[in-house]
Amino acid sequence: MSDILPSIPFIIKGIGVTLQFVIVSGILGFLIGVLLALAKLGKKSISKVLADAYTSFFRGTPLILQLVYVYFVIPQVTPWDITAFAAGVIAFSLNSAAYVSEIIRAGIQAVDKGQFEAAKALNVPYRTMMRKIILPQAIKYILPALMNEYITLLKESAVVSVIGAMDIMRRAQIVSADTFNYLGPLTVALVIYFLMVRILTFFGAKLEQRMSFSD
Amino acid sequence: MIKVTKLDKSFKDTKVLNGISTEIVKGEVVAVIGPSGSGKSTFLRCLNGLEIPTAGEVKVSEVPISNKSLNEIRVKTGMVFQHFHLFPHLTVIDNLTFAPIHVKGIDKHEAESQALELLESVGLSDKKGAYPNHLSGGQKQRVAIARALAMKPEIMLFDEPTSALDPEMVKEVLDVMKKLTHTGMTMVVVTHEMGFAREVADKILFLDHGSIVEEALPSKFFSKPETLRAQDFLHKVL
Ligand SMILES: Nc1ncnc2c1ncn2[C@@H]1O[C@H](COP(=O)(O)OP(=O)(O)O)[C@@H](O)[C@H]1O
Ligand SMILES: [Mg+2]
Repeated sequence: MSDILPSIPFIIKGIGVTLQFVIVSGILGFLIGVLLALAKLGKKSISKVLADAYTSFFRGTPLILQLVYVYFVIPQVTPWDITAFAAGVIAFSLNSAAYVSEIIRAGIQAVDKGQFEAAKALNVPYRTMMRKIILPQAIKYILPALMNEYITLLKESAVVSVIGAMDIMRRAQIVSADTFNYLGPLTVALVIYFLMVRILTFFGAKLEQRMSFSD
Repeated sequence: MIKVTKLDKSFKDTKVLNGISTEIVKGEVVAVIGPSGSGKSTFLRCLNGLEIPTAGEVKVSEVPISNKSLNEIRVKTGMVFQHFHLFPHLTVIDNLTFAPIHVKGIDKHEAESQALELLESVGLSDKKGAYPNHLSGGQKQRVAIARALAMKPEIMLFDEPTSALDPEMVKEVLDVMKKLTHTGMTMVVVTHEMGFAREVADKILFLDHGSIVEEALPSKFFSKPETLRAQDFLHKVL
C-alpha cells in the first residue's frame, strides 16, 4: 500500500478534471434539456416529433458508444481535431439533455391541470403562466429527479477515461498500470467517487427541504 | 350580454353538448342545474373559451368566441372552480394581485389595496399572508371568488362552487355569492344547491344529455316543472 502513497495526489488532481467535466456537461445538458422540454410541451407538432426522436435516440443507444463516436468521427469528417475533454462534454451534455427534458416534461405534467385552467381563465399569457405559476410548482417534482441525474452524470463520467481524459478513473488506472498495484489506486478512486456522491446528495436534500415552504 | 346559438361540443366521438341556444342579459343570475354528466361544466367552459365549440356560436358582449378573441372574452369573465385551483405557492394576497399585476399591468401598490378591499368584502382580511394550504375549504373558495373579482369581470362563472365543501362551510360561500348578486353582477352558476337557485336566480337552465330541457323562472321550475325529466330530477334531489 505504501508504494502508492506518492501517487495519491496525482489521483486526487483528477477530481478537478471530473468536476469541470460534470459541471460543464451538467449546465449545457440542462439548457438543452429545457429547450427540448419546451418543444415537447408546445403546440408545434414538428418540434414535438423532433424532440421525442432526439430523446429516444440518446436513451436508446449506449453512452460509451456516443462518446467514442463523437471523439473519433468528428476528426474524421471535420477539420476539428477534437480533444478528449470536448468530446466528453459534447457526448455527455447531449445525452444528459435527453434525460433532463423528460424530467422537466414529467414534472410540469405532474402539476394539477386546474392550475393551467385557473391561469387561462385569468387570461395569464402562456409564458407568464409557465414561469410564475407552473414551474415554481413543478420544481418540487423536478429537483429530486434532477439531483439523481447529476449523481448519475458524476458516476458515469468515469466513462471518459476510455478516450483518455485525465479524470479520477483514468489516473487510478495509470497508477495501477505503473505500479502493478490494483487494490490501492482503485480503492482510492472508489472512495473519492463515493464521497463526491455523498456530498452532492447532501446538498440535494438541503435544497429540497428549502423548496417545501408552502405545503 | 351572452348569446349562445346552436352550440354543439364533442370530444372525439362523444357529443357532450347538443344544440344549445339561450341568452343571458346583463345583471341576470342564471342557475344551471341537471344530473351529473349532463354537460353543465362543458357549457360553462364554452362561455369563457376554455372549450371551443365544435359548432354554433357563443357571443359575449357581441364578440363571438374564437381563438382570436379569447383574450378579449376572458378579460370580461371570471371563473370559480369546484376545486378552487388557488395558486398554492403564492400567499392569499399574491393570489389576488397576480393577474392584475401580470395581465393588466396594474401597479403593485394599487393592486394590493384593491385586493385588501376584496378580502375584506369576503371576510378574510386576516388571511392575507397565509398560504392556501393553510385555509379551510370555505376560506379557499372565498379567496378564489375574490381572485376572480380582482380582474373586475363583467360576468362571473361558477362551476359547483360549494360541491367540494364540508356542509358547515357551504353557507359562508353562498353568502358571498348572494352579496355579489346585489352588485348587479351577471352570474352563471352551476349548482346543486336548490335552495340557493330558488332564492337568488332570475332564471333556471335545466340541462340533461347536453341539451337545455327546460328554461324557466325559479318559482315556476320548482313548483311546476313542465318536463318529465325535470320532475324526475327534482324528485331525486329535493
Ligand atoms: N375533456 C374531455 N374529454 C372527453 N370527455 C369529456 C371531457 N370533458 C367532459 N367530458 C365528458 O362530457 C360529459 C359531460 O361532462 P361535464 O360537462 O363535466 O358534465 P357535468 O358538469 O354536468 O357533470 C361527460 O360524459 C364527460 O365524461
Ligand atoms: Mg361538472
